[in-house]
Amino acid sequence: MEKVLIELNRVTKTYQMGEVTVEALKETSLKIYQGELLVILGPSGSGKSTMLNILGGMDRPTSGKVLFDGEEISDAPESRLTRYRRNELGFVFQFYNLITDLTARENVELAANLVEDPLPLEDVLKDVGLDSRQEHFPSQMSGGEQQRVSIARAAVKKPRLLLCDEPTGALDFQTGKLILSLLLKINQERGSTVVIVTHNTAIGAMARRIIRMSSGRIAEITENPHPLSPERIDW
Amino acid sequence: MSILARKLLRTIKNTKGQFLAVVSVVALGITVFIGMTTAYYNLDRSKENFYQQNNFADYYFQVIRAPEQVTRQIQQIPGVIKATGRIQKDVPLLKDNEERATARLISFPLPMEREVNRLHLLEGRVFEKNPGQGRVEVLVDPQFAQANHLDFNDQIYIGAEGKRVPLTVVGTATSPEFVYPIKDAATLLPDPENFAIVMIPLNQMQQVFNQSGEINQVVINLSPGADEDAVKKQVETILEPYGNLASFPQEQQLSHAVLQAELDGLKAMSQFLPALFLAIAASIQFIMLGRIVKTQRLQIGIMKAVGYGSQQILFHYTGYALSVGIIGAVIGTILGILLATVASSAYALYFNLPETIGGVNIEAVVYGFLLSLGVSVLAGLIGCRGVLAIHPAESMRPEPPKGSGKILLERWSWLWKRLDPTWKMSLRTIGRNKVRFGVVLLGIIFAVGLLVVSFFMNDSIDYMLTQHYQEEQRYNYMIRFTSPVSEYELLNISRLDGVVQTEAIFELPVRIHFHGRDEEDLIVGLPQNVTLRQLTGDEGENIFLPEEGVLIGENLATKLGIEVGDVIRVETILGLGPTRWADVKVAGINRQLIGGGSFMEITQVNRLLREHLLASGAMLKIDPGKRGEIEKALNEMTAISSMLSREKELDNFVKNLDSMIYFVGIMVFFAVTLGFAIVYNSAVVSFGERKRELASLRVVGFSLKEVSALLWKEYFFQAFMGIIFGMPFGYLMALSMLKALNTDLYSLPLVIYPATYAFSAIGGAVFIAAALIFTMRSARDLDLVDVLKDRD
Repeated sequence: MEKVLIELNRVTKTYQMGEVTVEALKETSLKIYQGELLVILGPSGSGKSTMLNILGGMDRPTSGKVLFDGEEISDAPESRLTRYRRNELGFVFQFYNLITDLTARENVELAANLVEDPLPLEDVLKDVGLDSRQEHFPSQMSGGEQQRVSIARAAVKKPRLLLCDEPTGALDFQTGKLILSLLLKINQERGSTVVIVTHNTAIGAMARRIIRMSSGRIAEITENPHPLSPERIDW
Repeated sequence: MSILARKLLRTIKNTKGQFLAVVSVVALGITVFIGMTTAYYNLDRSKENFYQQNNFADYYFQVIRAPEQVTRQIQQIPGVIKATGRIQKDVPLLKDNEERATARLISFPLPMEREVNRLHLLEGRVFEKNPGQGRVEVLVDPQFAQANHLDFNDQIYIGAEGKRVPLTVVGTATSPEFVYPIKDAATLLPDPENFAIVMIPLNQMQQVFNQSGEINQVVINLSPGADEDAVKKQVETILEPYGNLASFPQEQQLSHAVLQAELDGLKAMSQFLPALFLAIAASIQFIMLGRIVKTQRLQIGIMKAVGYGSQQILFHYTGYALSVGIIGAVIGTILGILLATVASSAYALYFNLPETIGGVNIEAVVYGFLLSLGVSVLAGLIGCRGVLAIHPAESMRPEPPKGSGKILLERWSWLWKRLDPTWKMSLRTIGRNKVRFGVVLLGIIFAVGLLVVSFFMNDSIDYMLTQHYQEEQRYNYMIRFTSPVSEYELLNISRLDGVVQTEAIFELPVRIHFHGRDEEDLIVGLPQNVTLRQLTGDEGENIFLPEEGVLIGENLATKLGIEVGDVIRVETILGLGPTRWADVKVAGINRQLIGGGSFMEITQVNRLLREHLLASGAMLKIDPGKRGEIEKALNEMTAISSMLSREKELDNFVKNLDSMIYFVGIMVFFAVTLGFAIVYNSAVVSFGERKRELASLRVVGFSLKEVSALLWKEYFFQAFMGIIFGMPFGYLMALSMLKALNTDLYSLPLVIYPATYAFSAIGGAVFIAAALIFTMRSARDLDLVDVLKDRD
C-alpha cells in the first residue's frame, strides 16, 4: 500500500457571504498518496479551489480534519501553517504572482532562502529552461516564461507537495503543454507529489487518478492506468 | 446626492485612515495659521490702540537736570506735536522683609490729558496732586501690586535723599512704556516681587527729590512725516547745557522692543509653520490620489465608456482633495480660534495691555480657507492627472506588469551581489518610485528638523544661563551704591562675617564715538586681577582684562564697525560732575549673551573721570551658610541702592521657563503628527500596491514577520536618510528662527546639545515605526486565497 501524504477527513467549509451561507465543501474525504500526480477537475463553484486552499494551509475547514504526514494541521496555529507552507509546499498560480522587482533568478533565490537545503539555483533554472533568461524581470518575459519561473520558485524548495492552481489557465496551448511536462518531470525526477487543479478536463489524461468535483462534493474518482504524456494531450 | 458624490463618499470611507491623517495635517496647518495670525493681529491692534490713545513717546531724551520750561522750547521745534517733561529715577524700595528691591519712579504732570506717555488707570483711582497731610499718592504696576499683595491705601517705602519716604498706593495703572515691565536689558524677565513701576505726580516727585521746577527726561510725540533725525538734533542742542545723557527712539524703548520682538516672532512663525504643514499635506494628497486613480483604473475606464468626460472625472477625484481641504479648514478654523484665545489670554498675563482685543479675525479665516482649498485642489489636480491618460478599452484589460529595470546601485556589482533578494526588492521598489521616495524623505527631514527645533530652545537658553550665571558671574551678590564711594569703604563690607571676597566695580555710562557715529554704552571697570567675573571673547573663549584699553562689546563693535586696534572716543554721561572726553584703544572684543557693555581696568575708568580709587558697586562672594546675616547687614546699609543675588536672578529665570514645556510639547506634537501622517500614508499606498505580491509571498511560506520586514526594509533608507539629514536641517531651521528672534536685548546663541539630536532621531524613529506598525495591521488581513483569484 502506498503511503498517504495528506488526507482530508470529512472536511466541510462554509462561508458567510452577506446573509447567505455558502457551503463550498461538504463533508469531503480524500487521501493523496506520496509521489502521485493527481488532477482535480471541476467547473467554477465546484469547490476545487476551496479544497486547494485547505490543502495549502491557506484556509481552515469549518469542520473535519486535515492530516499531513499523519499530523493534524487543520487546527494548527498560524505559525505552524507558515512553517508547513515554507517547508513542505510548492505553489504554482494561474497568474504566476512573481515579484515584479526581482529578476527570474532572484525570484527563485527568494524562495530558496526560506529553506535549509534548497536545490542549486543553476540546476533548477536549467531544468525549467531559463538559464539564459535568469537576469530578466517578469515584465520582460512572456507568460510561459513567467510560469516557468514560478515552477522553479516552487521546485527549488524541494517540496513534498506541489499544488498547482490552473497552471496553464493563462497560457496558450503549446506553452501550456510545456508547463505540464515540467510539472510531470518534477513529479517523476524529484518525487514531489503534484496536485493540479483545473477546469480543463483534457489535462486529466496525464494523471493516474482524476478527482471530479461538483457542488462542493467529490462526484467521482477515476483511476487511469495509462496516463498520457502531456505532449500527447489535446484540447 | 449625485452618484459621483456618493462614490466619492465611499472612496473616502474606504481610505478613512489616510483621509484622517491628511486632514489632520491640513487642520494643524490651518490651526497654526489662523491661531497665530489672529493672535498677532489682536496683539498688534491692542498695542497700536494703546500706544495711540496714550500718546506713546516717539523719542526719549535723558538729561541730568533741566528746568521744566525747556519743554515749551522743544515743543516749538517743527515736527514736534507735544513734549512732556518728567523725572524718572530708580530708587531703593524698602520692603518689610528687609529685602532690597528697586522702584522706578516716574512722574506725570497733572492734568494728564494731552501729555505724552499718559497713564491708563487699571484699578483704584488716579493720584491727587495735593492730597494734603504730607501724603504722597502713587500708582503702581499691577504685577508688583499682585506679587506683593498690596491693597489700595497701603503704604510702600522708598529711600530718597537719604530719607525713608512713605508712598500711598491708590491704584494700579499702566502706560505704553510699561507694557512689559522689566528693569533693564540684562534682566530680560519681569521680577515683579523686586521691581516696581511707581507712578507719581510731577509736583510730588519734585518735592521728594528737592528738584522743584526741574525735570530729567523729555518725551516727545512727532507729527506724521516729521524728520526724526533733524528733530533729535535740535532737541539735543536745546538740552546740551543740561547734561544730555541719552536719547533714543521708540524702537529702543525696552518694553516696546520686547513686545515688538514677540510680534515679529509670532509673525514669522505664523507664516513658516503653516507653509510647512500645507506643503506636506499637499505632497501626501499627491501620492494618495495618484494611487487611488491607479486602483480605480477600471472604474474610470467604465465611467468614460458610459459617457462621463475626462474633466468631470478629474473633478470627481479632485473632490477627494477638496473634501480634505474643506474639513481641514473647518477643523483648523475652530482650533485656530481656540488657539488664538489661549494665546491672547497668555499675552494678557504677560503684557500690560489694558484692552486685549480678542475675537475672530475674519481675514485670517478667509485666507485660511483659501489657502487650504487652494493647496488641496492643486495637489488634487496634479495627483489625479493620471485620469486623463486612461483609455476606456485599455482599462478593461489587466494592466501590463510595471516596467522594472535595473537601478543605479546595481552597477556596484560587488555590493549588489551580496544583497539578499528581499533587500534587492526594496531597493528596486525605491528606484521605481523615486518621486514618492523623495517626497516621503523630505517629509521625514522636515518632521525630524521640527523635532530639533522643538527641543533646541531649551538647550540654547540653558547654555545662555549656564554661561551667564555660572561661567561668567562668579559672585553671589552684585551691590550698587547710591553714588560712587572710595574703594576703601568696601572694607566695611569685606569685614562682614561670611564675606569671602569683595571686588570693586565701576559702571560708567558713556557715549562711544567712532567714525562720525555714536552709540551709548556702559563701561564696566573691574580690578586687574578680577576673579568674580569671567570675560568671554567673541569666539566664546575665556579672555583676560587688558592693562590698557577697552574690551568692547561684540554688538556695539558690529554696530559701529569697530575692530581691535581702533581708537574710539569716549564721552562720559555719568550724570555727576562734568562730562569728560578721552580716546581709548580697543584691546579686544567681548561677548555677552545677556545684556551688553564693555570692560576696562577700574583704575583706567577712574582716570577717564579724573578720579582715583572710586567704585560704583562691588561683587561679593560669600559663605553660603551666612547668607541670611549678610543680606540683613547689607540691607541696613543706606549707601547701597540695589543688591542683586545671582542665585535669585537665576531662579526667577528658571521659574519663568516652566511655560517653555508647553511650547516644546505643542511643537513635538506637530512634528510627530506630520511625520506620522506622511509615512503612514505612503506606507499604506506602497502596501496597497503590493498586496498581491505580499500575499503570494505568504503562500510561498513567508511568515507575517518576514512580509512586514519587506516593508520595513523599504522604509529603512527613507528613515535613515531622513533622520540623518533632518538633524542638520533642524539646525538650519533653528538658525533662521533665532535670526528672526534675536534682538538688541539678548542674543540667544544657537546651541544644540547632542541629547537633542539624539531625542530628535529617536522621535523620528518612533513616528516612522508607529506609522509602519499601523500599516502592518493590514498585513494580518492579507487574504491568501485572494492570490489565487483573477486579477481585478
